[in-house]
Amino acid sequence: MRKLSMLVALVMLAVLALSAVPALADKTVITYWSNDRHDEAYMNEVINKFNAEHDDIEINMVIMTDDFENSILLAYDGGTAPDIIGQSVTLKNMVDYEAVVDLAPYIEKDEEYQKVNDPFNHKYEGLNAIGDAIYWVPSGMRSGVRIEYNKALLEASGFSGIPSSLPEYIEMAKKISEDGAANTPQTYGIGFTSSSPFERQLEMMAQVSGVFYYDYANGKFDFTGYKPFLEAGRELVAVAYPDQQGVDNMRAQFAAGSFALWGNASQEAGVFTSQFPVNDFEWGVSPVPSLDGEIKGALQTNPNKGYLMMSSCKNRDAAWEVIRYLQSEDVLKGYMEGGYDLPITSYIDSIIDKSKMGRMADFSLLDYESVYPAVPTINLIGDDYRTVLWNAIMGYAEIDDAIADLNTRYNQAYDEDVSLGFVQRLVIADYDPLHPSAGTVTWETK
Amino acid sequence: MAKEYVNPQLAPTNRPPRPVNKKMRLKESGGVASWLMLSPSLVFLCVCSIYPFIWIFRYILYNYDGIPNHTRFTGMRNITTMLSDAKFWGSVGVTFEYALLKLIFIIPLALIMAVLLNQKLKGSSFFRGVFFMPTVISSSISGMIFTFIFATGNGILNGILKSIGLISQPVGWLTDTSVVMAAVIIMSVWAGFGNYMLYFVTGMTSISEDVYESSRIDGANGVQTFFRITLPMLAPVLKVVLMLAITGAFKDYEAIMVLTNGGPGTRTNVMFLYIYNLIFGTGSNATRQIGYGALLSLVAAVIVGAVTIVYNLVAKKLDDVV
Repeated sequence: MRKLSMLVALVMLAVLALSAVPALADKTVITYWSNDRHDEAYMNEVINKFNAEHDDIEINMVIMTDDFENSILLAYDGGTAPDIIGQSVTLKNMVDYEAVVDLAPYIEKDEEYQKVNDPFNHKYEGLNAIGDAIYWVPSGMRSGVRIEYNKALLEASGFSGIPSSLPEYIEMAKKISEDGAANTPQTYGIGFTSSSPFERQLEMMAQVSGVFYYDYANGKFDFTGYKPFLEAGRELVAVAYPDQQGVDNMRAQFAAGSFALWGNASQEAGVFTSQFPVNDFEWGVSPVPSLDGEIKGALQTNPNKGYLMMSSCKNRDAAWEVIRYLQSEDVLKGYMEGGYDLPITSYIDSIIDKSKMGRMADFSLLDYESVYPAVPTINLIGDDYRTVLWNAIMGYAEIDDAIADLNTRYNQAYDEDVSLGFVQRLVIADYDPLHPSAGTVTWETK
Repeated sequence: MAKEYVNPQLAPTNRPPRPVNKKMRLKESGGVASWLMLSPSLVFLCVCSIYPFIWIFRYILYNYDGIPNHTRFTGMRNITTMLSDAKFWGSVGVTFEYALLKLIFIIPLALIMAVLLNQKLKGSSFFRGVFFMPTVISSSISGMIFTFIFATGNGILNGILKSIGLISQPVGWLTDTSVVMAAVIIMSVWAGFGNYMLYFVTGMTSISEDVYESSRIDGANGVQTFFRITLPMLAPVLKVVLMLAITGAFKDYEAIMVLTNGGPGTRTNVMFLYIYNLIFGTGSNATRQIGYGALLSLVAAVIVGAVTIVYNLVAKKLDDVV
């Protein structure tokens, strides 16, 4: 009898103990998908802090770096979409899919959020907003592309910095490769990745030379201006590191001193200090050269680190609570001071201690950096322009044929989409390549 | 006069034959049970195979990027685009080249290894396991492994070739259009031959030992035994293996996607990789092209089907000759 009483008491104790568990299970879990890996440690830290301080909401962050938009849409179709996603998606597609929520009603009611993030002054049509609807608000800004260079290899070949014109840049790459042939292991002047290589150097050199693939003044695509950059690309590839591997592999090669010149934006500040720390030589950061040394166009910079709320989210108030936390003063201050991004609002810029930003300070915005108006999203059949142009550089296609193909395909698809009413034609009659977002935007239906 | 006994069961009767309705016939032939047993696989066939095929088939005349309100009927445009799509027809050519080269190497290699490992030598079970192991590794992992092996500057293969003095300059296994196909074939043969080898080993175990003993008594040497006994008696297995290898080779794309993503340029852009990238809007495609991709899937299925039919006809003719 005594044993039985003991057993009953134990069972009751176990039941009582277990009854405490649902307190955890009652938390509303907000799932956030990000495609940023460079800030994973910091994001985990602030998310863990939030989860510890909140009894009602728990953030579950999932990092997905590959095929981000597709994965989201597939999950959305399958009913397993996250509640919040990072901004690296094509906004028009997400809106047409009715997969994302207009955040303007939440923003309008939240004065603290407005003070920190200044959302109404950071509306970029087609990029984070469509009409009055705001789908995400940037927390910061990624700089335009810079040239990161190995100072030791440059100095060994008699150079002290990056020249301002493309022909000089090519000569420098050639000279460093020639000199590097005697090194063991062999070193090279320049390296390219297999992941969007055109975008990471030559396209940006074209931008600052006043060449852009969308002719805003006439509302059509025009790739003709890229010809000299494709010819220059052929010369650079001929003396480049012989492999074009994934971007992380090539970063590792740069950090190991295999080549001297590498092109990428401000995320490299963190990459070369923590992900692939450069320990054996000093590395510098320089603006990309232009065709003739003169700056004739703005360098594209990208507002980033925004959060979109999915329309399938069942706990929208909780999701908004998470977004406003991730874009709160404390979190953003730590983010910028950690060197993960550049501040986009004057408020955040005024409160951060810039001495803590490390190498990010080298990527501070140039006076000719600007956000370009979002080019209309079109339903294109076949390869995108970056692939076609890089194939021409690699010699897999003739340069003139590649340009003609792009002009034809892009404009055919654009005309058809406009005629069917899926997009409107973007025209900025007073477009100025040095101030791309300053012109008067008009939308035409023909 | 005694009445002749007539077995009532055999006696003619004026009664009309018992009507056999469909229900009874089905019951008597065991049809209900068969259909019940077949039903799970039929349901899965319909849900997982036929329905998706019909779903995608209806888009072949549409421009559809996966966004519900973006569907638009474009008549024959997808078909005319396909007829002039040099990249697609190029990918068909690459697929035939890849399949042919793969088959040339993988079948003889699998057969030779099966014969060697069937000799009941010491350690043959171990090697059977080792050679089969790549088959259980996922294709994308195989692709990743070989990116490290074939890397130009810091690759394992170039390192070995250089250290033994076979090359002085690194070979661009994945960047040089003249050698990249060899790299892809090496990877796919490595990944697949263990599977076919196992089929052959299984086929050989069913050949009676008496036949080999007779041939030995008749004085046949190893080569004669292989060509006169092993190979003819393996013919049914060989036919199946060849068919699997052909269809498999034509449908390969996962490991190639990881290793070269169809490059450099379009040198290893096989048919199904091109279609995958179109439908999912990945790789170099700016937008998802589900309509156009659906049409190309259909054409690709016809191509693979035609190759299989041709193979079956050839195999049948060979049977008649042999």
